[in-house]
Amino acid sequence: MNKNSLWKDAFYRLAQDKLALISILIVFLYFFVALFSGLGWIASNWSQEVGASNLAPSFDHLLGTDIFGRSVLQKVIRGTQVAMSVGAAAALIAIPIGVILGALAGYFGGWIDDFVTWLYTTFSSVPNIMLLISITLILGKGIFSVYVALGATSWVNLCRLIRGEVLKHKEREYVQAAGAIGGGHMRKLFRHILPNVSHIVIINTSMQFQTAIKSEVILSYLGLGVQGEPSWGTMIDDAKLELVRGVWWQLAGATLAMFFILLAFNILGDALRDALDPKLKGK
Amino acid sequence: MSLNNLLSVKNLTVEFQTSEGIIRAVNNISFDIPQGKTIGIVGESGSGKSVTSLAVMGLLQKPAARIPSGEIYFNGQDLLKLNEQQMRAIRGNDISMIFQEPMTSLNPVFKVGEQISEALRVHKNLSKKEAWEKAVHLMNQVGIPNPSSSAHKYPHEMSGGQKQRVMIAMAISCDPKLLIADEPTTALDVTIQKQVLELLQKLQQEYKMSMMFITHDLGVIGDIADDVVVMYRSNVVEKNHAQTIFHSATHPYTKGLLACRPKLGANPRRLLTVSDFMTESGEEKIVPVERVQVFDKEQEVKSESQILLEVDQLVTQFPIKGGLFGRTVDHFKAVDGVSFKLKKGQTLGLVGESGCGKTTLGRSILRLVEPSAGKIIYDGKDITHVYHEELRQLRKKMQIIFQDPYSSLNPRMTITDILTEPLNIHKVGANKNERFDMARELIEKVGLKSNHMSRYPHEFSGGQRQRICIARALMLRPEFVICDESVSALDVSIQAQVLNLLLDLQQEFGLTYIFISHDLSVVNFIADEVGVMYAGKIIEMDKASRIYKNAKEEYTRSLLSAIPKGLARETRP
Amino acid sequence: MTKYIIRRLLYMIPVLLGVSLIIFVLFNLVSGDPTAVLLGKNATARQMADLREQLGLNKSLWLQYLDVVKSAFTFDFGHSWATKQEISKMILQGAYPSLCLSVPAFVISTVLSLFISLFVAYYRGKGIDLFIRVLCIAGMSISALAYILFFQWFFAFKLGWFEISGFDPEFPHFISYVALPAIIWIVLSIGPDVRFFRTVILDEIYQDYVRTARSKGLSEFTILLRHVLRNALIPIITYVVIQIPSLILGALLLENFFSIPGLGGMTLNALNASDFPVMKAMAILSSVGYILFGLLSDILYTIADPRIKFN
Repeated sequence: MNKNSLWKDAFYRLAQDKLALISILIVFLYFFVALFSGLGWIASNWSQEVGASNLAPSFDHLLGTDIFGRSVLQKVIRGTQVAMSVGAAAALIAIPIGVILGALAGYFGGWIDDFVTWLYTTFSSVPNIMLLISITLILGKGIFSVYVALGATSWVNLCRLIRGEVLKHKEREYVQAAGAIGGGHMRKLFRHILPNVSHIVIINTSMQFQTAIKSEVILSYLGLGVQGEPSWGTMIDDAKLELVRGVWWQLAGATLAMFFILLAFNILGDALRDALDPKLKGK
Repeated sequence: MSLNNLLSVKNLTVEFQTSEGIIRAVNNISFDIPQGKTIGIVGESGSGKSVTSLAVMGLLQKPAARIPSGEIYFNGQDLLKLNEQQMRAIRGNDISMIFQEPMTSLNPVFKVGEQISEALRVHKNLSKKEAWEKAVHLMNQVGIPNPSSSAHKYPHEMSGGQKQRVMIAMAISCDPKLLIADEPTTALDVTIQKQVLELLQKLQQEYKMSMMFITHDLGVIGDIADDVVVMYRSNVVEKNHAQTIFHSATHPYTKGLLACRPKLGANPRRLLTVSDFMTESGEEKIVPVERVQVFDKEQEVKSESQILLEVDQLVTQFPIKGGLFGRTVDHFKAVDGVSFKLKKGQTLGLVGESGCGKTTLGRSILRLVEPSAGKIIYDGKDITHVYHEELRQLRKKMQIIFQDPYSSLNPRMTITDILTEPLNIHKVGANKNERFDMARELIEKVGLKSNHMSRYPHEFSGGQRQRICIARALMLRPEFVICDESVSALDVSIQAQVLNLLLDLQQEFGLTYIFISHDLSVVNFIADEVGVMYAGKIIEMDKASRIYKNAKEEYTRSLLSAIPKGLARETRP
Repeated sequence: MTKYIIRRLLYMIPVLLGVSLIIFVLFNLVSGDPTAVLLGKNATARQMADLREQLGLNKSLWLQYLDVVKSAFTFDFGHSWATKQEISKMILQGAYPSLCLSVPAFVISTVLSLFISLFVAYYRGKGIDLFIRVLCIAGMSISALAYILFFQWFFAFKLGWFEISGFDPEFPHFISYVALPAIIWIVLSIGPDVRFFRTVILDEIYQDYVRTARSKGLSEFTILLRHVLRNALIPIITYVVIQIPSLILGALLLENFFSIPGLGGMTLNALNASDFPVMKAMAILSSVGYILFGLLSDILYTIADPRIKFN
């Protein structure tokens, strides 16, 4: 366990919150499903026919089969892999860019701040959906474009939040005290300020993750996402025509898979905010 | 219950449901407020005094707060038996309240005139126009200049003192029978505090109200209270007429509270504190005679020593941005040509009200803020323009203790980390263990237990945190320390302990202090020499032992007269 | 105040240049030579060269960038590759159906959310508050696509209450076409809106001035509607205004599913046809909208909050 009291405190608060615990379990479950699928341990034969086409859910095929007789459950699992990888990639791109730019801008101010502020104002001025579809359109369809597109949009909010927090903490007396004992800029920024704003990263990532998943589904639905592989978005796209014929399980499978992970991240995001945001303490 | 008691609290107990279990904030207390009288409720933070007032107002946050037993009779009616609607008719009408923080207690988006008229419209059914006129009249009565135009101002356009006057106008608007004032002057400068106290006293007589005045500082209510109730750890430990309390208190805690406030003039060498009068478990102690003995600073001869710090015509200014592109259009001189000399081992006290530049002066001397002109000569060396490594080396010798013990410690670091950090930066001590030992030595010196060093700041009280700040400042064994309002945020009883500690440490380590404060009595106690600051300048400077007797400047005299005397006024007939 | 507005207006220039730069980099630098795509495999080198000339791709990069910047100010976006129509005309045509759907949906969902959040703030901590919060979170966790598919299939196809798709510009005929997508829009926005509004309102409820209001003897209802709401409106106005430009764009997916010939549908058609000029135009147009309404929301913020000083 982290020795930092705030994290310890937060850990206990979360542990008391049953809903949050269940959400953490769901997130882990999805991660492992995605990981095992990525390693080829499960659902590696998703493209093989397992029965007749469009079989309704039954004991043999829990989520039924699609038009080519493939298992919908296996497709959902492959889709999980895509969704989780997109969420993780967006976070991995957004965190370093957002934190570093935001921290430098907030701490040093001056022209660095002017530049960073201009940069994120510019990026946030292009509506996210336009930026997402433009980037994927131009870089070519596929999962890599989706990573880049989500990376390009997801750092903006984190950067803005971190800048604002650093700006606030910079003036606190504990940072001045660090200066008074001879600490330099790097010590003040990395040892003192950043640990005090790190909860923003955690909360924001949990929120960002679900935005990424939702975006991936829409991009895939539009045919811009992953190619030749099932994703929740392409499954919903298939369902568009199937629904009229009463084939609802492909839509249900993808929607439910998405529902649980988004719900988990939503609850977790709220719980993390309650546990980590000192402003709310004691309420 | 006697009939002339307006408010009568009987065996009141208040409990809070928290994650750590049930906490009893008020334990079976009883007191009365007679018609037309003022009673003071005194106690340190957490003693239950504010909770009591909120219970009277019916403003406790339910369901976290519970009142398992007790009655609160107001005009013969038990307030605890009223429903919310009946209570609303009383709140703001028969009983009204002023809070400690005038800055946050007013709604920022409404004009003050509207906020004052609001209660009038609810309780007295006045029309909008009538209520506004009454509000303007009230603002005049509480001494706000140009009331008819000031009524159109928003809270942020007013000073702290004015905002508190608005709060008072709001509270008296419906002719309440009882006014509750919860630390109404704690956030204000001393001169403003005096004015507000006088205003409250005047209004109390004019309106023939009863008043319940809550404070942590017995000195403040001397002039104003008829009766005093002393609260300690959720209990009422003593209640009596103010005169009796001030002259012959019986409970050791009350005695301690009375003694711990430094007086202008002669004081004991170390201030008496509550712990001199009672043990941790609450038993009375005999105070040794030598502890009570006062000494006169003028008689004391300190050995002549050399000058450690010389400040010459120091100016620190901040740019004022303006115009289309936010260019600097002008400068604001926070420190405007300050000069003084400070001898080794001595203490210079700097006194002034908020905004006078005393904090900026302190930080400029340490080069935490860059001065714009003038010279700082430390130990014979001009340090106005040293940078990088040289400046870093200087930090070993010059240290600062900040005002707010809550924000000056990094909440994510343990006490060990906080204390060893300066050693790490300056590579003092051979290894981790050695540094830890040095930290432990100092933490014991400032009166904390070394087995608490793995804890985090939030696990300590305000006074304990300030001790940690002191220990951090002393880790590098500096020669010179600036204490910037270092005791201002503390309750008077804690303040005395910290002041004593600072004196002990000065003696032990041969420290030279600059002690910055808004409170002349504190500065008078701790400093050898006192400088009075006003608008960025030192307007008067003299020996501490002389300045309170023969102040030359009008401003200094007004500061002096604003200090609460700590004596009860003569009981009115 | 005027100074502040002028300064904010001037700040639009570097942001607009930045936005143009992003769009230029994407569409002119990264995208490569579009002529091969446009003319097909059998195009001759001559034809390609002519087309490049025609599309202005032979100009220096600097001039091409200037073209992008110019279009952000003049709204002259050239012609569509797919339909050969003038893009600014296409936008004017598409705006009306988009607004028919988005404006009523936006207004209703915002007002409804505000009422619901005041209601739950009043009953904070009680069962009904928890219930609505759970409903919001659950609602937000369902994909927009699922809502659209299900609602369209169930209410329009199965029950036949609404038109399945299409559009009729005549009032009041268009109501039967936009009603269902508008309902979906409202369902989609209520979750996040209520959650945000509720947080903002609760932030205010714990402030000191609310205690003062209580000590005056005001009812909890008056405090909520007068003191708390007035303060909470400051962030709420900002949040609402900043969303307005997205109304112009309409709801991409909704228009697409319900075949409403609006700007959103137009954008997706352009996407499918790799019609770069239209995509570019929509990106620029929506960015300009964001910038303008961002400015407006900043100005409203300073008006709504008397504490803001202009320096």
